[in-house]
Amino acid sequence: MHSIDRRCFLKSISAAAGASVLTVPQSFAATPKARVVVVGGGFGGASAARYLRLLDPGIDVTLIERGKLYTSCPLSNEVVSGERDIRTLQRGYEGLARRGVKVVHAEVTQIDPIKKAVTTGDGIAYSYDALVMAPGVDLDYSAIGGLTEELADTRIPHAWKAGPQTLLLKKQLEAMPDGGRFIIAVPKAPFRCPPGPYERAAQVAMHCLHHGKKKAKILILDSNDTFSKRPLFEQAWKALYGYGPGGMIEWIAGASGGIVESVDAGAMTCQTTFDEHKGDVINVIPPHRAGKIARDIGLATLKGNWCEVKPESMESKAHKDIYVIGDSCVGGELATGNGFPKSAHMANSQAKVVVASLVAKLNGLPPPVPIYTNTCYSVVGHDWGFSVVHLFRVENNQWVYVAKGSGISPVTFGTKEAPKPVPRVYRKMEAEYADGWLRNLMTDAFG
Amino acid sequence: MTKNLLALALLGLSAAAAARDDIEVLARTCNGCHGVGGVSVGLSMPSIGGLPQKYLKNIMKQWKYDERSAITMNRIVKGLSDDEIDALAAYFAKQRWVPSPQPAAADLLAKGRSAVSENCEDCHGITGSDPDVDAPRINGQWAKYMELELLKYRDGKFKMPHRKMKKSAQDMKSADVPAAARYFGAQDK
Ligand SMILES: Cc1cc2nc3c(=O)[nH]c(=O)nc-3n(C[C@H](O)[C@H](O)[C@H](O)COP(=O)(O)OP(=O)(O)OC[C@H]3O[C@@H](n4cnc5c(N)ncnc54)[C@H](O)[C@@H]3O)c2cc1C
Ligand code: HEC
Ligand code: HEC
Repeated sequence: MHSIDRRCFLKSISAAAGASVLTVPQSFAATPKARVVVVGGGFGGASAARYLRLLDPGIDVTLIERGKLYTSCPLSNEVVSGERDIRTLQRGYEGLARRGVKVVHAEVTQIDPIKKAVTTGDGIAYSYDALVMAPGVDLDYSAIGGLTEELADTRIPHAWKAGPQTLLLKKQLEAMPDGGRFIIAVPKAPFRCPPGPYERAAQVAMHCLHHGKKKAKILILDSNDTFSKRPLFEQAWKALYGYGPGGMIEWIAGASGGIVESVDAGAMTCQTTFDEHKGDVINVIPPHRAGKIARDIGLATLKGNWCEVKPESMESKAHKDIYVIGDSCVGGELATGNGFPKSAHMANSQAKVVVASLVAKLNGLPPPVPIYTNTCYSVVGHDWGFSVVHLFRVENNQWVYVAKGSGISPVTFGTKEAPKPVPRVYRKMEAEYADGWLRNLMTDAFG
Repeated sequence: MTKNLLALALLGLSAAAAARDDIEVLARTCNGCHGVGGVSVGLSMPSIGGLPQKYLKNIMKQWKYDERSAITMNRIVKGLSDDEIDALAAYFAKQRWVPSPQPAAADLLAKGRSAVSENCEDCHGITGSDPDVDAPRINGQWAKYMELELLKYRDGKFKMPHRKMKKSAQDMKSADVPAAARYFGAQDK
């Protein structure tokens, strides 16, 4: 070892000891110790790319993402209602590039898990030692009669991938007359952001209330029989907008005829199992499945829709050295109904698990103990927010849902026998925290 | 060669170091809301890196055992063991305090400064960077966050066990609350 190398080496060891054994110093970065390719630059993929470089700059990281500007879905319901400028939700990839992530804007069209190479639409191949898949979800338009991708872009937006459709839905809402009807069709679970449709209903109602459309109706046609944070939503809907007969918001469960089977864009109607519903705005959210590229290479081992992974590392059950995170994967305590929610925070948390495990592995260190956390805030009025928190640990290579460290904001105070209302100031503060949370989460992912 | 040496050298580190890895993993779960190293960029979310260890430990335990109200944190810490809380407190206390000085109008700052020198300086220092042992640093803490926190101390509906801080907050004129928060938020040192 040259003396210079030796000095660097000693310095690095002390730096490593001082900071963390898993934070590997830069001086070893001369030749990359491994090449990691990340497919998809949403919350999951961006977080993985950023943390790989933060923890070990000796790893060569390439992020392949088709879009140049990412729009956060979280808080995009506030864009629909006119409460928020969409630009506050947008981030480019410069922050990641500054961290030394090689950002490639292209469509990934092929992956060869045997040769370990990813190919983009322009025919360029990127070989990898480890591949992190974070392509998000695909929406299955064919599941709803009469619905096409083109219709979603023009007449019947889902606005479930934030961007142009979010603005289209906002425009449609603005054009809706007083007395108009706004239909939200919710797909069968699992879908991304379990509380999202119900937050949207509240945001739409708020818009109507503040824009002289007090006679507007928001009709939620649900393919499911219950929903996330339900008591909190119902409480807020009642207090703020009126819920049920005579109120602005109405919810129809799947069992009561909420399942939308087809749409007619000309007549602007939704056909459910029992009825036909006419809307001025129709917001159909099609059923979800793992991103196409993940399904194409056989990662979707659960019913062909979702990618199963190993709890300790998020490595795919189907292919070695491929890790699947974010909305495409399934995990958690499925048997007890406590699966991983498909959320941005969860995708960020999963990315950190993959990175910690990969960095340890690539440096020949023992695997760290993973931990998964999630928080989803919902904002249902100017000064009314609430949240759900999740904690999962791994024991004996199984996910364990930790009920003690999970749960929704309180619905009532006091006792079960003598409940008291939760003071409004609690709801107001939670709406404020939602904004701070998103800013930090976006920075944690995109730099 | 270097790679192997590095790995070996790192493997040779003590069990304490390995345990510290777990704390890194755990601490990283806080970054989504409090930023890397506990440096927040969200106006309503506090920076926590570099706060005193005792303060950190104390409030997390108070949340865990329902001795103190919170909106989100009380639910999060209930899933953590006391040892994890202690380790997190030690970890974040070791980080550097990075103030995020936020500009504010001169008249508001002047009003804030006069309120602070009268009622808060004794315990927080005139810029918030010289706190009593049981108080956190608040120079360059996010003003929006501090306003919400002051509301918790002032509003009878929150359980806030620190009697003296509570009394100081309740004695404030309501117009001084945003002024004091903006003033502390504007300090970089
Ligand atoms: C209205 C709404 C509100 C929400 N609110 C919240 C909330 O409050 N809190 C929360 O935590 N979550 C929320 N979510 C959920 C959150 O948006 C998702 O869970 C999160 O985006 C998942 O991250 P991901 O990385 O898996 O996927 P995405 O963020 O969708 O990223 C996937 C990326 O992969 C790219 N990609 C896919 N295939 C390819 C390919 N073949 N080649 C190149 N690039 C490709 C896509 O362009 C995309 O950028 C909300 C969602 C919606 C719709
Ligand atoms: C989902 C967002 C979120 C996550 C994740 C989160 N926090 Fe918090 N944190 C908050 C909020 C909101 C507050 C304000 C207190 C409250 O909940 O009312 C806060 C306040 C704090 C404070 C008080 C700061 C001060 O200046 O007094 C500390 C300390 C803290 N958090 C530590 C942590 C630690 C440690 C973790 C990781 C285990 C963590 N937080 C994870 C949202 C979060
Ligand atoms: C008697 C000493 C004392 C005085 C006087 C005092 N404080 Fe405090 N302050 C504290 C202590 C101690 C804490 C932490 C208390 C706790 O654990 O709840 C605190 C906490 C705070 C916090 C919350 C910080 C955080 O990170 O969560 C703010 C903001 C604050 N004080 C502002 C003020 C202002 C403004 C004044 C003047 C009106 C003031 N304080 C007067 C001792 C004091």
